[in-house]
Amino acid sequence: MTSDGRVRVLSLMVEDHPGVLERVASQIRRRGFNIHSLTVGPVGGGRSRMTVTVDAGHAEVDQVAKQVDKLIEVIEVEDITDDPIVSRELVVARVDVPEHARDAFLGRVSRFGGRVVDALNGSLVVELSATPDQVDGFLELLRPYGLSELARSGPVAMRRSSHK
Amino acid sequence: MTGAGMVLTALERENVEVIFGYPGGANLPIYQRLPEHPSLRHVLVRHEQGAAHMADGYARATGKPGVVFATSGPGALNLVTGLATAFMDSVPMVAITGQVNTSVVGRDAFQESDVIGCTLPVTKHSYLVTRVEDIAPAIRKAFHLATTGRPGPVLVDICKDVQQASGVFEYPEELALPGYRPALEPDLSAVALAARKLAEAERPVLLVGHGVLLSCAEAELLELAEKTGIPVGTTLLGIGAFPTEHPLSLHMTGFMGTGWCLRAVQNADLLMMVGMRVDDRVTAKLDEWAPRAETFIHVDIDHSEMGKNVRPHIEVVADAKRALRALLPLVEPPPRSRRAWLTQIDAWREEHPLRYRRSNGHLQPQDVLIEMYKRCRSEAIVVADVGQNQIWAALWWRYTQPGLFINSGGAGTMGFALPAALGVKVGRPDKAVWCVAGEGGFVMTSQEMSTAVEQNLDVKVVLLNNFSLGMVRQFQDDFYGGVRSQVDLTVMPDFLKLAEAYGWQAARVERAEDVSAAFDAAEHTPGPFLIDFRIDPEANVYPIVPLGKGLDHFREEPYDI
Repeated sequence: MTSDGRVRVLSLMVEDHPGVLERVASQIRRRGFNIHSLTVGPVGGGRSRMTVTVDAGHAEVDQVAKQVDKLIEVIEVEDITDDPIVSRELVVARVDVPEHARDAFLGRVSRFGGRVVDALNGSLVVELSATPDQVDGFLELLRPYGLSELARSGPVAMRRSSHK
Repeated sequence: MTGAGMVLTALERENVEVIFGYPGGANLPIYQRLPEHPSLRHVLVRHEQGAAHMADGYARATGKPGVVFATSGPGALNLVTGLATAFMDSVPMVAITGQVNTSVVGRDAFQESDVIGCTLPVTKHSYLVTRVEDIAPAIRKAFHLATTGRPGPVLVDICKDVQQASGVFEYPEELALPGYRPALEPDLSAVALAARKLAEAERPVLLVGHGVLLSCAEAELLELAEKTGIPVGTTLLGIGAFPTEHPLSLHMTGFMGTGWCLRAVQNADLLMMVGMRVDDRVTAKLDEWAPRAETFIHVDIDHSEMGKNVRPHIEVVADAKRALRALLPLVEPPPRSRRAWLTQIDAWREEHPLRYRRSNGHLQPQDVLIEMYKRCRSEAIVVADVGQNQIWAALWWRYTQPGLFINSGGAGTMGFALPAALGVKVGRPDKAVWCVAGEGGFVMTSQEMSTAVEQNLDVKVVLLNNFSLGMVRQFQDDFYGGVRSQVDLTVMPDFLKLAEAYGWQAARVERAEDVSAAFDAAEHTPGPFLIDFRIDPEANVYPIVPLGKGLDHFREEPYDI
């Protein structure tokens, strides 16, 4: 992950009910921990997967995981920080690239694995899905060209293999 | 059947005997149907907080879940302190609240509040019911969750139009709770390891909490202590789990615990904690807690308690009774070397007895409580409020039989005792019930004196009246530079007139020689009775560990016996 080693990644399987997000967020907050990022989406069968990155040390995250696991609608919690994981984050960014630099810009975006998804009046909207570290690098690439707006999804993650 | 009828039918299915509640706009449909369900006794409280504490006391005294009704908005919000009290002390409760119509939820309708949101951190779980077919499953799950695993309060918030809607009542057999798997049976390898460590320890101590009482493991605990010769200290909420008069009793631990228990904890080489959270009131300064302990064994039903405050070497995540049952066949009689440890503890008991000043002419709270416990004869149930009265009542507890001592330990809710005692009496009409309270906490919920009369609840109130917020005053004296700030309670109702106004009998006692006669009067007068004991306004709680210090620094009563 992109941090000083205090950020831990928890993967949660939860029941897809109204208010589950609030319960998870509230439980982490009231136990004194800070949520770095949180993504959630339904995975079918009445369940959702949440990927929560928490600003906590190794010992502390054990406590966060146990507290979250205590919630009735949380089916499974795993700390996957130290496992081989596939982690992906989506970023979309608006870049106001001058006409003369456009070809060079498009070449660099494409070498990074990004692509242009919208172009209007000299402003380009580009997207990239990559590891959070690569997203950081991609944004550094965009900045000199006039990065004017961006949105990041926060990472979604799962283990490379299905068993520990 | 209407949704309201389903609510009441579901309660009948759960064998509910009594509901503590208060009607209002958003639960009127339920109250309209209530007379059709005569098996459900309803206790009309005078404030919803009283309902929550009554249900709490009922649950602690009977082991059955307490049930509460309240309306939306302020009605439900008045439950919050009571829910928090039950949540902190793991008490099974089901609160059923009315909510505004589904069509206006979220529009700031009259008496609307986000009750699910407001109660989120003080409930084990909660359900917002917006469809009539969800009523029965929600109530079924609420009772299951409240009473299994680590118990706690569960809230079911039901929109008014759903209470009025019609549907077919089906009470589900199967519960879809895929994320709820309370650990009950212990890991036998952990238990075996614990047994070996217990046998090897030279200076072991057992500390036990509310979990032992909640799982009814008192007999197993007594057997374990006697078989292994290991002394037992209890938390404030664990009082009653082990007989105080037993030679192996260390009595209460924690920052207001007995001197001999604190010496034992601080010198133990092994601590086994059963059914307790090891909170800051137990450890005082955590870094200085049990410094000589090489082994911590923690038995608790809640996995998240493992390592929350103290990281154990051996974790047993299980119901206390089942864990102790699994442990008993594996433990060994005490080695000969254990004798020295018990002799040392006996010496500490001699060196640090509980004592109080007697010779300054004032009535002392201990004079009152010693007499009260004499009359309890190890049979009555004692409910204490919060503050000095609570710790005095805990420390002077002298029951030979494991019994019930009820108080708000985790939340420390002033005003708990009177309504909780009424709930106890509803649940255990066969038992004498004594309510010990200070005058500060008592007036926070004293409106429930009317409920006592209406329900004919024979509760005796021992008011330890020192004309001040005694615990706060003591802390100000000892830890805040002696600045007595906003603790004076000399302007209070005349408690004899207050009792009379509510239809209670009452007496006032100012001298130690009149204590016995007042108790005679209370015991011989049918119905609720209040004794206004005017105690030494300077009486303090001892032992006490100065705030922020380790247990070694406990202070004792400076006055000679």
